[in-house]
Amino acid sequence: MTAIRIENLTRTFGAVRAVDDISLDIRHGELFTLLGPSGCGKTTLLRMIAGFVDVESGSICFDGRRIDALPAHRRDTGMVFQNYAIFPNHTVAENVAYGLRARKVPAAEIASRVDKALERVRLAGYGPRSPHQLSGGQLQRVAIARALVIEPAVLLFDEPLSNLDAQLRTEMRIEVRQLQQALGLTAIYVTHDQEEALAISDRIAVLRRGKIEQVDTPERIYRMPQTAFVAEFLGSTNMVPGIAGAFDGRNTPVAAAGTEFTVRGEVAAPGAPVLLSVRPEALRLRDGSGGSLVHARLALREFLGPVQRLHATLPDGTQIRISALGGQALDLLPGAPLSLAYDPAQITAYPAP
Amino acid sequence: MKRFATIVTLAALVLLAVFLLYPLALVLDASFRIDGTGGLTLGNYAAIVKSRYYLGSIGNSLFCAALATAFACAIGIPLAFCLARIDIPGRALLLTLASLPLVLPSFVSAYALVLLFGHAGVVTTTLRGIGIPIGSIYGVPGIVIVFTLTLYPYVVMPVLAGFQAVDASMEEAARNLGGSRPYVIRTVLLPIVMPAILAGGLLVFIEALENFGVPAVLAEDRPFLAVDIFKLFAGESDANPAAAGALSVLLIACTAIALLVQRHYLGKRRFSTNARSAPAKLPLTPGLRLTATIVSWGIVIASLLPFTAVLMISLLRFRGPVLTWEFGLGNYATLLSGSYRPLLNTLTLASIAAVATMLIGAPIGYVVARHRSRLSGLLDFVGMVPFAVSGTILAIGLIIAFNSGPLILTGGWLILVIAYVVRKLPFAIRSSSAIVHQLDPSLEEASINLGVTPSKTFATLTVPLMASGLVGGLVLVWITAASELSATIVLYASGWVTTTVVMYHAIEGTGAGLAAAAAAVLILVTAIPLLLINRRINKQESTVI
Ligand SMILES: Nc1ncnc2c1ncn2[C@@H]1O[C@H](COP(=O)(O)OP(=O)(O)OP(=O)(O)O)[C@@H](O)[C@H]1O
Ligand SMILES: [Mg+2]
Repeated sequence: MTAIRIENLTRTFGAVRAVDDISLDIRHGELFTLLGPSGCGKTTLLRMIAGFVDVESGSICFDGRRIDALPAHRRDTGMVFQNYAIFPNHTVAENVAYGLRARKVPAAEIASRVDKALERVRLAGYGPRSPHQLSGGQLQRVAIARALVIEPAVLLFDEPLSNLDAQLRTEMRIEVRQLQQALGLTAIYVTHDQEEALAISDRIAVLRRGKIEQVDTPERIYRMPQTAFVAEFLGSTNMVPGIAGAFDGRNTPVAAAGTEFTVRGEVAAPGAPVLLSVRPEALRLRDGSGGSLVHARLALREFLGPVQRLHATLPDGTQIRISALGGQALDLLPGAPLSLAYDPAQITAYPAP
Repeated sequence: MKRFATIVTLAALVLLAVFLLYPLALVLDASFRIDGTGGLTLGNYAAIVKSRYYLGSIGNSLFCAALATAFACAIGIPLAFCLARIDIPGRALLLTLASLPLVLPSFVSAYALVLLFGHAGVVTTTLRGIGIPIGSIYGVPGIVIVFTLTLYPYVVMPVLAGFQAVDASMEEAARNLGGSRPYVIRTVLLPIVMPAILAGGLLVFIEALENFGVPAVLAEDRPFLAVDIFKLFAGESDANPAAAGALSVLLIACTAIALLVQRHYLGKRRFSTNARSAPAKLPLTPGLRLTATIVSWGIVIASLLPFTAVLMISLLRFRGPVLTWEFGLGNYATLLSGSYRPLLNTLTLASIAAVATMLIGAPIGYVVARHRSRLSGLLDFVGMVPFAVSGTILAIGLIIAFNSGPLILTGGWLILVIAYVVRKLPFAIRSSSAIVHQLDPSLEEASINLGVTPSKTFATLTVPLMASGLVGGLVLVWITAASELSATIVLYASGWVTTTVVMYHAIEGTGAGLAAAAAAVLILVTAIPLLLINRRINKQESTVI
């Protein structure tokens, strides 16, 4: 169990500020996810913690001990790589034993710890095999066992599941989460898959261009995104630009897309331009009864099995997406008018950029 | 990690400075000195410009190299195309055989030409016997033929890679847009392989210009740059080291320019290397396919014929320079009767040189591939310098540098090994960095992350992973060191005569049988290890060129 404190960490590559003045506190036993689009600096930050990228300024402490000047091989982190990085010239058991050997653990103890680690990742009996006899998912389990077995101060994952197919990915992320909780290890997990981040994290840091946009629990990140970027990155929300009206003591009307949305609270001074985030599932198909309403026209229906996604056109032509349950009977044809009900509390407004 | 890279880089730079740059600087210096007194002068260059003989020497060398380049392209490009796009029977074997001439000693091929078509050659005498006169192959014709037949693989390999790198979909797209097949070849295929052709062609040019052995065997009295440099430096009667220095500088200037242009085109080749699916074989009529097969196999067999001829002739009896049709092992008896020393020397020196070259080259190749920095960039550049320096010139520099002073090496075996190591280092660096490029860097990071130091990771993880590739490199260095002539002939001392030296002197003298036996031994010494690991070699060569 290790608490990690990162203060004012910076790293530039030429003109690119890959990690830009980042400060973070990661708690004991937490699974902490770095989430963000490609090139936002997730890998760079993770590799700075592992010691593969030099720190330009700022500090990294494990349990109050500064580690950013230590060489990589003395940091006691267990890293799981995107492409597994299983040593092809060693058997599965030798791979798992690798870090224990480096730590000069007695041979007898190595054998039992390797067996136990392989059991934990459901690969008991695979020890004598050579890596090329294993599937991608099994290789990734070996990589995880190899990182776990040394009982590192911190587990580091860099998009560990991105090389696996969708089905295996959802299975493996649960395994990763359960292992991490069972062992009580602090883990930092890099991904650009927002669903994966939401599913397994204790807390998530959303990164953008080397800076932190928001650090929060998955629920709060999703429900209460603090910036338009976070809102847009998490769940394919509809971003609709508009102009704020006068606050009535409870709600603010916002003129947008040729109609009017009602938003809870005082979002901006009257006349100020704002950006509305309307989540697809915040809009419900209604037939005229109660709540705030907005009118649109059906453009296209995507049937996805358990859910269906409707594409609709607002009065000024702006396209929005609406989620509906798959079972909901719909005999609407493109062009049909839709009445969409919503809860004003579920719409978020941001100052327009 | 950084420290490991820095240490390797600095050590390598020091080594190259002492054994490559310093000797070359001394050659340059000698070219500006008055012979004997040591005063500064431009006289040596002026003398060359005024001398009809030396201008002829430069002219002959450039002319032969240019002609050989043109011919090598003329046979190399079609052969590469056939190998890439036509379903030729025995393609895999053909590919292996086509790479052989690069590592077999070219002066042996030249000597085969002498044995067959020389003054007392088998073919010459036979034809003369039935009344058909044949022209002389000495001088330009013979030299160009040998260069073409031994150097064309330099064109084939990169151009073949180029043809194979053309993504099928690219060609299909061009056809889909309405291009006829010849139009597509002209507008899509050729532009893509052009840089590869230029890169390969320039390599032929450089090698032909530097080569000492082939003109030494075939030039007779005609002036050739590489031979004249040797004679001016080591000749008994007309030695003139200053003039040798000036000619060397001119030769290096030519090869260096060619090398820089070559690297430029090599760099351009990268855009074509991301093919997903190799283009399909061309559908040909049986007649065309047969023609392609005959031409491809014909080229390769013709290039290997001289070597087989030498092997056979070495088993025949000579009376003086005249060949008889009687079988016998007499030539080998003569070769070995004096002493086993030359053969033993060849094997020993090549082994030491090969191991040393790979031991030095592998870490350099690793650092150059993995740790890009200004220092490693410099190392990468300096490491390529030996390509532009002929063996003779390097040897001359080594003699000037280590004949006196704090470090005296002349007269021993070490200076030979140093010359081999320096000459083969670019190859070792290239091949090991090519291997490293294929290794996933996260393997090393995983090892370091698990607590193993970077230097131990290199020794216990990276080196074993590179091993199979390094063995291929080791064998290639061994082969080329065993058949090295141009530096050896300058540097050898009485106790360290090698098989190549024996052969050279036998050709110079009248020992035709002895030379044939020595040549045969050289072929065996080089071909046997090659056949043992030929599959690896193929890969290596194409990555290095
Ligand atoms: N070694 C390097 N040299 C130069 N620039 C680099 C280097 N490593 C990263 N960068 C740059 O730093 C930025 C952040 O890169 P990083 O790999 O951390 O992104 P990432 O968030 O992991 O993206 P992805 O999701 O694509 O993996 C990018 O603009 C990248 O181009
Ligand atoms: Mg990344």
